[in-house]
Amino acid sequence: MTPFQPVSLAVEGLALSRGGLRLVGGLGFALKPGEALLLTGANGTGKTTLMRTLAGLVRPDEGRISCEEPVEEAVAWLGHSDGLKPGESLRMALRFWADIHGASRKTILPLMRKLDIEPLIDRPAGQLSRGQQRRAGLVRMALANRPVWLLDEPAGPLDGAGRERLADLVAWHRSRGGIVLAATHQTLDWPDAGHLALKAAA
Amino acid sequence: MGGMGAIFWREARLAWAGGGGPAGPAAFFLAAITLAPLAIGPDPDLLASAGPGLMAFAALLSVLQSAERLYGDDFVDGTLDLYALLPIGLPLLSLAKTLGQGVATLWPLPVIALLGGLMYGVPLVSSLMLAASLAAAIPALVLLAGFAGALAAGVRRSGLLIALIATPLMVPVLIFAAGAGRAGFEGDERALANLGLTAAISLGTIALAPFGIAGAIRSRLG
Repeated sequence: MTPFQPVSLAVEGLALSRGGLRLVGGLGFALKPGEALLLTGANGTGKTTLMRTLAGLVRPDEGRISCEEPVEEAVAWLGHSDGLKPGESLRMALRFWADIHGASRKTILPLMRKLDIEPLIDRPAGQLSRGQQRRAGLVRMALANRPVWLLDEPAGPLDGAGRERLADLVAWHRSRGGIVLAATHQTLDWPDAGHLALKAAA
Repeated sequence: MGGMGAIFWREARLAWAGGGGPAGPAAFFLAAITLAPLAIGPDPDLLASAGPGLMAFAALLSVLQSAERLYGDDFVDGTLDLYALLPIGLPLLSLAKTLGQGVATLWPLPVIALLGGLMYGVPLVSSLMLAASLAAAIPALVLLAGFAGALAAGVRRSGLLIALIATPLMVPVLIFAAGAGRAGFEGDERALANLGLTAAISLGTIALAPFGIAGAIRSRLG
């Protein structure tokens, strides 16, 4: 894979709300290339809203998100749903995402091997289990070859082996100078990852 | 622009593979124009004069019938989030996506309208005029349906909302597309003018609707 330009990400004084309800206020953190941050917090404390705000899908009430590159060119996103079409084979789907991100199609198979789903390449996504779909979603995200990975509950549907593969993928991305932010309920054992706990706003 | 091509072909392929492609709108259109004479009665003159208008009307309804899936599915399965994060930008993306789906699912409509016109006793030249005006109307119809579909993405009973939003917007297209076929039938030289106006509306919609769709998507995601 061609190397990307590492970036750092800084968040200052961020305030978020959902449906008119204030979730988070005065949130700040900074991440340098190669760093990872795990967001934890009970349901409804704003983890997903924070991730969507960082991706630029939601506008914050207040505060600043700074990054050397515009968000649309820096961020790779993995949300609750994997963005797969039930009738589309992984081969066709991943080829499309590689093309649209200007990545070589030759990077698809090595990434699928990393997540141990290479034999499923010609299966339609609708026939895969949730965990297999999530692995395919991770491949799709890695194909974008972006420096900042935003993962919303990445380990949710994954089994033990899948979580290990995820940890390897994240370690690989960080070794290339990438940043990883993950909102999670699971305990993810990522070496020297930062932790940030969101609490319910008063 | 290369990205637009990739999106156009993917959406066309998905519409074909996942949604039965043109079968749904074509079946709906065929059913409507086959049943209408049973209701109107067998008078050949009446059928021939009502034919072009009926055909344009049935085509409009068959476009609406598939509008719900245009953005609703993408909203639910997370594709819309991913599309919104592409550097190509939502307006160009929604143009490529909507036209890709539209071409893949609606291409039989002008063909059926031509055959239907002949079946109703409309002369060949006017039937051709009707088919051409429907072909010219498809970009406008599908983009307006897409706009309504994007506004209603993820809303319960979005079909109802889509019909309420899109139907009034489609009125001019219906008038001119049907007018081209009717004027052709009546030997009126205004047939070409009607066809030109239909094409003009389509071009205007191609220029404007993508921004409306992009705004609708952003507000649905935010």
